[in-house]
Amino acid sequence: MKPKTKKIITLSIVVLVVLVITLLLYKVAGKEPFIRTALSGLTLGSLFFLVAAGLTLIFGLMDVLNFAHGSMFMLGAYMGWQLYTNPTFIFALLPHLLAFATGVMLLPLIKPTLVRMKLPEKWVNAIPKITLVLALLLAVFSFIGFDILAYAKTAMVAASIATAGNPFAEITPQEPFATYWIRPVLIFLSGLLVAIASAKPGNKQEFAVRERLSKTLPVPVIFFSLTILALVVRESAPKAVLLMDGNLRFAIAVLVSIIFGFVFGQVVEITLIRPLYVRPTFIIIMTLGLSYVIRELVQLLWDPLAYQMVRPPFAAQPGKAANLLEWFQKGSSTLNIFGVTFPTYRLFVIALGIVMFIFITILMTRSRLGMIIRAGVQDPQMVEALGINVKSIFTLVFALGVAMAALGGIGAGPFLPIQPLMGDQYQTQGLITVVIGGMGSYVGAFVGAMILGMARAFGDYFALKYSLSTAIAEASTVIIMIIVLLARPQGLFGKKE
Amino acid sequence: MSTQTPQNDLLVLEEIHTFIGQFHILEGVSLRVPKDSITVMLGRNGAGKTTTLKSILGLTPPQQGRVIFDGMEIQGKHAYNIANLGIGYVPEHRAIFRALSVMENLKLAERKKGDFDKHEEFIFNLFPDLKRLYKLPGNHLSGGQQQMLAVARALVPDNKLLLIDEPSEGLAPILIQQMMEAIRILSTTTTILLVEQNFIMASQLAQRFTIIDDGKSPHSGLMSDLVNDTELVHHYLGASIKTRKEMELSHEAEN
Repeated sequence: MKPKTKKIITLSIVVLVVLVITLLLYKVAGKEPFIRTALSGLTLGSLFFLVAAGLTLIFGLMDVLNFAHGSMFMLGAYMGWQLYTNPTFIFALLPHLLAFATGVMLLPLIKPTLVRMKLPEKWVNAIPKITLVLALLLAVFSFIGFDILAYAKTAMVAASIATAGNPFAEITPQEPFATYWIRPVLIFLSGLLVAIASAKPGNKQEFAVRERLSKTLPVPVIFFSLTILALVVRESAPKAVLLMDGNLRFAIAVLVSIIFGFVFGQVVEITLIRPLYVRPTFIIIMTLGLSYVIRELVQLLWDPLAYQMVRPPFAAQPGKAANLLEWFQKGSSTLNIFGVTFPTYRLFVIALGIVMFIFITILMTRSRLGMIIRAGVQDPQMVEALGINVKSIFTLVFALGVAMAALGGIGAGPFLPIQPLMGDQYQTQGLITVVIGGMGSYVGAFVGAMILGMARAFGDYFALKYSLSTAIAEASTVIIMIIVLLARPQGLFGKKE
Repeated sequence: MSTQTPQNDLLVLEEIHTFIGQFHILEGVSLRVPKDSITVMLGRNGAGKTTTLKSILGLTPPQQGRVIFDGMEIQGKHAYNIANLGIGYVPEHRAIFRALSVMENLKLAERKKGDFDKHEEFIFNLFPDLKRLYKLPGNHLSGGQQQMLAVARALVPDNKLLLIDEPSEGLAPILIQQMMEAIRILSTTTTILLVEQNFIMASQLAQRFTIIDDGKSPHSGLMSDLVNDTELVHHYLGASIKTRKEMELSHEAEN
């Protein structure tokens, strides 16, 4: 049989099965419950996709199963929520982070000189270790007496008082500049030492072309100016953010989550995962451990409580919109879809999932990065032999994946309780999605996520209708996984090994 | 050989030792590749020819010894840095990217934007087939077409040196002819280090040879000397290979 006719036959069978199942569900559930449950399924599916897309890309390219992905989803929710309700926390930390980044970003500037230094062998080995220890000490010093818990705990106060109409009452005052300035300076030096350590002074195996200053200077200069800016607005910015239009504030929160995820992903990949590529099983254990560490840190900062994030104004006004246009005009909290009342914020989440799917599709098929990723999935060595720094591509893809999980987190923030365990369910479902869709396939991740979302939603619906245990809904996804694995071990869109 | 000064060598390997896992694959390989010539590495399967190429590129970095490319020591550097110095690599088994189209395979090899546009005409003149297959995904190509794509890919950026691993492997005789012709044309503009099992092809193309045997490089010299050295060829490359002298003898005997 020709591969083309085979493809057509498989496709028509799939379409037929999907149609039959849809009709069956429609008949059994009835029109209104069907539409409502299907939309709920799409919402869940969108969130599953945002988690699974990163997981599958990371696994496809570098064979890394990231068990901390759910925790990163949770962190994304926390960071976005912090900016939305308690910007003090973010702005108190921002000068630190930026000053550290400024130091690290000096690397391309100093590397060519440092690498060319002539040093005795033992110093070549010792300098990176000594500087890293010093960097750690400086970083610790820079935080001594810095009451980060107080800034984090402001959140709970602010959240409860915000409802009473006075969001500023309990904001922890920032440290006066006279005693504060030493912290960014210390942490900048710490970052600089990290840069020196990673430049590997005197190491003959390292290689660095002397670039023109116009190429290496702008990045550290930008970070330096941002640090100064963050120092200046440290006290005024939180208030300004809280007074902002709610929608804009939410947009910034989403942006903060994405940026946080991207940076956090890079840091995790470079410091924790990169040394372990030669021992893949260790990576699994390490990421599992990392997820516990993240969870405990979050519990330390914000206590093991569940918080409710206020929905952004574009989906929070009381009242029901008759159509999409009315929703956009009034920002109603619910919408009438074919006679079904559905929360508008969930429609936003569905849109988020679809937009991200389109984004990834374009990224993978049209951009050079996508080309490199697809080539690297097959043969990373050959990609490297073409003169492409595969390690940095690994970092980038990992960071992209984490950023997407963080976006999922903040997307879920306004309708899920924000708590340290909120990512666990998405971790498991994300992994199941990746297995169903096929390891490494983003299309598979999308289809798998939608199937799982539907299974969960309809499972819940029928469990409620026939008063069965809701465990059926949770078990249904695993059952689907088993069926898919038996019929197609490589997953729906996976390639045969 | 004494006429060639070291300055003329684009690539020099000095006693390199390479381990893969715990296996000591290269136990002191030395070789020289003079500028603007074709040098061929000969030897039995598993002798370490491919590992030598990978050691040059830094894909399996040598633990001892020096690799000098264009007057610069490159051993131990990252593979992408080495490749960016101007070394193109055509791996064995036609390792093209099957998930990418022909166009994407070629575009991916760009080191600077516009590399491909610059060399497009040259590449399609060399391998006219590829122009027709431009949009097909790599896994739809036949073996010969994949091999051509693998060579074409190495031509996209400006390379000073091409490392070509068994270009004739598994190709039909007519395609071998075409591939040889292509390599000959390439050698007019770049230096080539070739690994080739097909002795006839190797002897017609290369000016110099290095024999790799058991992770060492016992002999090297001019190809014109090797084709007449029946004993050497039989000892290292197996008895099935006929040198030119033997062929001439048998030819005379038939007449």
